[in-house]
Amino acid sequence: MMNYIWAFMMLTGILFSIANGTISSFTDSLMKSCDDAISFIMALAGIMAVWSGIMKIAEVSGLISKIADAVSPVMKMLFPKVENEQISAMMIMSFMANIFGAGNSATVFSLKAMELMDEENKRSPIASDTMCMFVALTMSMIQLVPITIIKIRNDLGSSSPEDIIFPSILAGIISMIASVTVCKYYERKSSYV
Amino acid sequence: MSDLLALLSILFLPSLLTIIIIYALIKRVPIYDAFIEGARDGLKTCLEIIPFILGIFLAIEALTSSGAMDFIEKLASPLFELLHIPKELISLIALRPVSGSGSLAIIQNIMQRSGPDSFVGRAASVMAGSCETVFYVLALYFGVTSVKKMRHAFSAGLIGYIAGVFASVYLCMIL
Repeated sequence: MMNYIWAFMMLTGILFSIANGTISSFTDSLMKSCDDAISFIMALAGIMAVWSGIMKIAEVSGLISKIADAVSPVMKMLFPKVENEQISAMMIMSFMANIFGAGNSATVFSLKAMELMDEENKRSPIASDTMCMFVALTMSMIQLVPITIIKIRNDLGSSSPEDIIFPSILAGIISMIASVTVCKYYERKSSYV
Repeated sequence: MSDLLALLSILFLPSLLTIIIIYALIKRVPIYDAFIEGARDGLKTCLEIIPFILGIFLAIEALTSSGAMDFIEKLASPLFELLHIPKELISLIALRPVSGSGSLAIIQNIMQRSGPDSFVGRAASVMAGSCETVFYVLALYFGVTSVKKMRHAFSAGLIGYIAGVFASVYLCMIL
């Protein structure tokens, strides 16, 4: 699927830049986006290494299995097939980091969770129910205080920059309900693993 | 209330760190060795995702800088009008699923033009807080796995996104 999406995006871009006669600036932007990608990775690498290190400490000390036990009732409902407690712990960490606005750290936990799920899925080329549910949940996970947005609003002279917190959370929950419903629907319709 | 929430957000990472370190000290774990081992793993993962990040950034840039995105916006605008979604928000709705930083720039631009407390400005802010970069997350997350068929993860993300967009606009109308 990704093959077609990627090819479609690239070819559409090239086609439109030819039609608009902007092919040379288009090529420049493409090359610049490689720079952006690498700077993004560099920004992520440090955080990634540090959090993986910290999480290793928590894993060796047994804290992660403790956390996993504590949240297992909720997790069992959403992810009935998860056996490995490490996975639940990483998921919870990712959700928490998301909620508290630590986006990059959340990415680290999520990627770790995805790697573990891939193992549990026996490196199958077909995504498991657990993976789909997790990805759907992370994508719609709410953030308690969207700090960046509040800061932008404040800088632009808003009379109440925090006004958007409540509607944001509410809209986030609605979006989450929609995603989870879709997942549950498909899980019932067809089930692998 | 919002001050309390902000404080919670600020305190989250430091307190998590403190708890992990103290718990490990009590359990007499070789903390530093564990940290180094984990950090090595983290860097390995980071190395693994570089090709995926490059691929995503390249494809998104191809769509946005060629003007293809503008065309899609124009094509979709009658539909948005029908659904009572202001036309100022179309470019945001189109770009948000693929690019977090790009959509943030658009949000800033929208608020500069219409004012942060206007209906459009508020709807844009709420959208940033509740609608995720769906395609980007899908590509990145499945990038670290061997999955080729992502099954319903795609539709779940997309439907969640659309629900979030409508919720943002309509909630700002009534609240």
